[in-house]
Amino acid sequence: MAIGLLENDYGADGFRTCRVTGLRIHRSAEVPVKMFGLTAVVALIIGGIAALLVALTRWEAVGILGAADFYKFLSLHAWNLLIFWMVFMEIAILYVGGPIVLGRKLPASWMANTGWAVMLGSALLIDYAIWTTAPPDNQPLLTSYAPLQASPLFYLGAIVFILGAVIAALPFFFCIWQQKREEPDKTLPLVTFGAFITGIIAVEALVGGLVTYVPTYLWRIGVVAHIDAAWYRHMFWIIGHGSQQINLAAMITVWYFMTWLTAGAEVVSEKISRGAFILYLFFINMGAAHHLMADPVLSSGWKMWNTSYAVYGAVLASLIHAFAIPAGLEAGRRKRGLGGDTWFGWLRTAPWHDPGFSATAWSIILFGFLGGITGVLMGQMQLNTLRHNTLAVPGHFHGTVAVGTTLAFMGLLYYVIRLFFNKEWVLDWFARLQPHLYALAMSIAAMAMMEAGIVYGAPRRDPVTMSIPGTDFSFAAAGPMYAIMGVAAVLAVAAGVIFILVAVGSLLFGKPARMRVPVPLSLGASGDRPVHDHSMRGTFAMVGFFLAVMALFYGLDWMWLSRLWEFGG
Amino acid sequence: MSSPVRSPEGVWWNRSVNPHERRWLSISLLTCLILFSWMVGWRMLGAQNPMGPTYRIEPEAWQAKVEAYIEAAESSDRGIVPPGDDVYISGRQWLWTGLPVVLEVGKEYTFHFGSFDVQHGFGLHRRDELIEQFNLQVLPGYEWTMPMTFKHPGVYDVQCNEFCGVGHRVMHGQIIVE
Repeated sequence: MAIGLLENDYGADGFRTCRVTGLRIHRSAEVPVKMFGLTAVVALIIGGIAALLVALTRWEAVGILGAADFYKFLSLHAWNLLIFWMVFMEIAILYVGGPIVLGRKLPASWMANTGWAVMLGSALLIDYAIWTTAPPDNQPLLTSYAPLQASPLFYLGAIVFILGAVIAALPFFFCIWQQKREEPDKTLPLVTFGAFITGIIAVEALVGGLVTYVPTYLWRIGVVAHIDAAWYRHMFWIIGHGSQQINLAAMITVWYFMTWLTAGAEVVSEKISRGAFILYLFFINMGAAHHLMADPVLSSGWKMWNTSYAVYGAVLASLIHAFAIPAGLEAGRRKRGLGGDTWFGWLRTAPWHDPGFSATAWSIILFGFLGGITGVLMGQMQLNTLRHNTLAVPGHFHGTVAVGTTLAFMGLLYYVIRLFFNKEWVLDWFARLQPHLYALAMSIAAMAMMEAGIVYGAPRRDPVTMSIPGTDFSFAAAGPMYAIMGVAAVLAVAAGVIFILVAVGSLLFGKPARMRVPVPLSLGASGDRPVHDHSMRGTFAMVGFFLAVMALFYGLDWMWLSRLWEFGG
Repeated sequence: MSSPVRSPEGVWWNRSVNPHERRWLSISLLTCLILFSWMVGWRMLGAQNPMGPTYRIEPEAWQAKVEAYIEAAESSDRGIVPPGDDVYISGRQWLWTGLPVVLEVGKEYTFHFGSFDVQHGFGLHRRDELIEQFNLQVLPGYEWTMPMTFKHPGVYDVQCNEFCGVGHRVMHGQIIVE
């Protein structure tokens, strides 16, 4: 059965032609995509179970776990979702964006298998280390901030996982290299280009991870006597934030791909979209500096240079994609005569019943409004002090990696099931409902966390805040926010369960896929105007609204800050 | 058709850009410039900036410094009263040394933050007020100095907000401003 899932009707040369996309897919690329995708889903299940327990603890009226168990499941939640689910998916995305889009074999596919095995083994090692952590060791959470020591097996697992990810990424780079050797004058397709940028950012992050974890492991096992807390933070965030930049670049690549596949989006300007990816390449790693805004040691000049002058190169890139992707949808659909010549007809008539589209669309919208806006606010050195280490920080990153990246990857997986595994979705209506439910529930949970953090100052990483031993001070006022977060999180986990049921059920019991080319893709252009000549006024209105909301919160935050006591020179 | 999975044909870098997209590009650039100048401007003109000189210091030296300060301070039943303009606060698993402390409203103090053991988070909240809080990272091996002036009398609660071990949640303290 398991082996059967990895097979397909390949020709004698190992290729098959996808009847929906027309892409020529080679077995050597398709099999690893399935393996990495399936493994990612297993990580999603483990991380999701941990998510439920974490949320039911932070909903203090329920308070299901004691402190020791809370930190154990918080660590499992962080590593399985933020690292394993994401990175396994991203390797799969590299193989889709590279060999499959280019119609090539995956070179050195043994490295893909080796990388997969190494990543899987080390992921299990990390989970084991977390599960068996006992005093005097502490749970690592995501950050394992030295000199608070975690289990030595944890650091070892992190090092090996990074090496595995590098090994798995190499065949993708070989593939790009071969392509450029054979056809040096042919431009890479945009999705391949995005995957290529993702790959480079990934390697930067992973090298940073080795620089972090190898010395930290040596310190933990006693080879090195001393570890500097500021050094650790500085190095850790190269991979700590760097891995989130992989998520971002991969997610945006998926956005371009999925809006095209499901709804007929086009690329309205190759040079501007590619320019934005290049901006990411040069500037986005400065995003790591956001984590150090409320730190000692670093000068205000360092902080402001890295989070403004440099990182705004990346903010600019995100603003560009925020326009280019919906504009591609708008112009692509107008060009095909879909939705009429109104402001938003192109969006209203989009395939919202298709989970591949709705997951992508919600991901774009919610990533911008929840993750993007709060990210810009926290990236201002002074405003950062309002949010640093409060529940508003998890609120922010559930706005980026949960309703953003996770939702986009779920949308992609719906199509991996159909186009690669050749299975129809079981529980069809549940599948169509699932992205809407997840988007709604998770954004409410994220907003409740933001509110609890910014308004009440509720700390993150704390199982009980509504009563503190030895003082009459507490965060009990945040109780209603915890309850909203808890209920919404339970619903979001339910949406996750639906996703798992659909995904696993389809693989086991799904009928053979009979999907045809989606309507938008099969329609030719009505008229011969190039795509950039079609109106983008709907998108322009939407991004204008987005900017107004951002300006509102920017103003509010500075007003709040100005009411504080005076501090700093 | 300009598909994201096909190589663009012809001289794509010369193709014209939709006026709406050009306009958005300028607006985006302007947004980034505003964000940048506002932050730098506040650094020069604003009264809330998380900054001040940091000094590298050995844990023993830091501990001796804090102990000498507490020795010199006058202690009352509400907390210690600093001998001069300097206020020392050090994190340790799981309490704040130097707290509770009684300060005068409107007087500029120099705060010295540090830690005896691991990383901690200094979260300061004005009691019974919403959104009046700030949060700093506190590191062992470093002494972070920062001037601070409280504008309103009242109780300011301190809660550790960086995970510092399983007893993290009990780590609290107070600043009393009068």
